[in-house]
Amino acid sequence: MSADVSDLSLVRRVQRGDKGAFDALVLKYQHKLVKLVMRYVRNPAEAEDIAQEAFIKAYRALPQFRGDSAFYTWLYRIAINTAKNAVVSRDRSPIDYELDRNSHDESYEMQGRMKDAETPEGLVLTDEIRSTVNAAIDALPEDLRTAIVLRELEGLSYEEIAAAMDCPVGTVRSRIFRAREAIDRRLREVFEGGLGRAEELG
Amino acid sequence: MNEELDSQLSAMFDDELPPQECELLARRLSRDELLKARWGRYAVVGAVIRAERGVRLNAPLAGLVNAALSAEPALGAHAVPSLAQQARLRWWQPLAGGAVAAGVAALSVLWLRAQAPLTVTPLAAQRLPATLSAAPGAVALKAVDAGAASYVTPPAPLVRPMLVPSTQLANYVVAHSMFSSPVTRRNLLSSFITSEQAAAEAEAPQVDVQSNAR
Repeated sequence: MSADVSDLSLVRRVQRGDKGAFDALVLKYQHKLVKLVMRYVRNPAEAEDIAQEAFIKAYRALPQFRGDSAFYTWLYRIAINTAKNAVVSRDRSPIDYELDRNSHDESYEMQGRMKDAETPEGLVLTDEIRSTVNAAIDALPEDLRTAIVLRELEGLSYEEIAAAMDCPVGTVRSRIFRAREAIDRRLREVFEGGLGRAEELG
Repeated sequence: MNEELDSQLSAMFDDELPPQECELLARRLSRDELLKARWGRYAVVGAVIRAERGVRLNAPLAGLVNAALSAEPALGAHAVPSLAQQARLRWWQPLAGGAVAAGVAALSVLWLRAQAPLTVTPLAAQRLPATLSAAPGAVALKAVDAGAASYVTPPAPLVRPMLVPSTQLANYVVAHSMFSSPVTRRNLLSSFITSEQAAAEAEAPQVDVQSNAR
């Protein structure tokens, strides 16, 4: 299977004027991008702002994207540059400069606490989501759990997983799908019922 | 929800769906909010398994990006072919180019071969006597030429080996004038005449030199 085909299908749709397809790309990569940006800024809320800016820049630059590289590689570069620029402009700020001189790490943590304090339910929900997914994974039959973990944690292709688990590629596809279905059933309850009332997904 | 559709969605999320199916599902995904929500939850599952610490799993990032872009125009201005269309274009474009080039080359060779016996008098050679007779010193020149021919090196034959006689080329250009611009046509005809005149002039000095030597 050629890599990045699904992303490219969505990208082509965005380039033809379908904004809805860009939502799917944001949903798929938002967590990866925030995690990436957090290498440059420690505050999660600031990382989200930068990731948001990176996605907007990517959307505006999409007409120039020709698919020579994978979409995520291209997005990754935009996010890195956006994060570096954000750090430089923040360092030029007089207030931040004073804070940085006094206690660099503490200032980040303080800013982080202030922003996180604005959404306490959000923090609780994140923990709820995490524990729900982990519990669902623990409850999976071993073959399903192995398949989904090899895919998500190790990033193996279906073919590689098939070789590792000594089964056909079709079986791998089915196992991963069934694993996701089982986890999603539990996760949907969190988002649609319980704590999901506070904030919607995405 | 349709199990087959969800299975395809899972495979597409992993970049493991065939391109044609991807095209169709991408179209549906961009419009179906339930499918999009499921797609988003698949991303959450991946983030939890990878233990992406510090990432808010309920962050409304997609909603914020969507809101920020809502005022922007869609990117429809650039007509980008679909993946399937691109694949089709990719394989036949070089073949079609090669076929056209080969066809033109084959026709050229056949046409040139059909013109093989080339002993026709060139355009300039046909027109030269008339030009000379009209010129003021034409009579003298003719006399010198007639006398000189008896003892000097025989002049080169006026009939030059040409692939295509200029008269035919000129006739061809005129006959197909509708397919060329006036400037191109004029330049082409001028070049025929110039080349022929140059050929005629290349032989004329021989005559002059011989006459001067006498």
